[in-house]
Amino acid sequence: MDRRPVPPAITPPATARPFGPRFDIGDLVRVIDLRKPGHVRTPDYVIGHLGEVIQRCGLFLNPEDLSVGITHGPVVALYRVRFPMAELWGGPARHPRDTLCIELYDHWLEPVDKVTR
Amino acid sequence: MSGYHDIGGLPAGPIPRVELPFQHWEKQAEAIRNLLGDGSRRLVSLDEIRRGFESFGLDKYQAYSFYRRRLEAMIDTLQSKGLLTREEFERELAKVQRRWTGDPCLRP
Repeated sequence: MDRRPVPPAITPPATARPFGPRFDIGDLVRVIDLRKPGHVRTPDYVIGHLGEVIQRCGLFLNPEDLSVGITHGPVVALYRVRFPMAELWGGPARHPRDTLCIELYDHWLEPVDKVTR
Repeated sequence: MSGYHDIGGLPAGPIPRVELPFQHWEKQAEAIRNLLGDGSRRLVSLDEIRRGFESFGLDKYQAYSFYRRRLEAMIDTLQSKGLLTREEFERELAKVQRRWTGDPCLRP
């Protein structure tokens, strides 16, 4: 017996305003604490911290949806975000020029005004 | 509140710098996982498996290796979706174990 369900088609983002990623390379972003239970790909140590978008990685199915078997989307934008080590761990960094780059999904980020930060 | 797996940045002592070569069963389990999650099936995603081992309890999480966690969570997920029953799993496991112990050429 074939028990394979037919995979549904992948749908574009529900919030497809001007289609495409919300942030651009060079944008400053803060990682917000969504306090989501279950599987998330955003580690605790980046939450609340300020980083810079250095790459748009594309649109991907949300791993939080995939973790509960939702495989039809919508897709969300993924970015590579760079943090100075001192921003993440506090205090004077042993290697001040070292950074940490991590991929983060759009809904975990909020824009930070470069002037008022 | 993050889970027991979310330990980045916590004090943990020195990192053991030991090369751990791929075991054959680890490659097999990952190959099966890839097939279960590929675009034509989408039966079990890696994120479902991650959710499984991030919630199956700290004791199991600490006792199992990286790939054993994935394997155990994959079996749990297949069973919870009704794609594999406990009986089918036990029957196949016994079959393979008999083959393993019965044929001297297949012994480790």
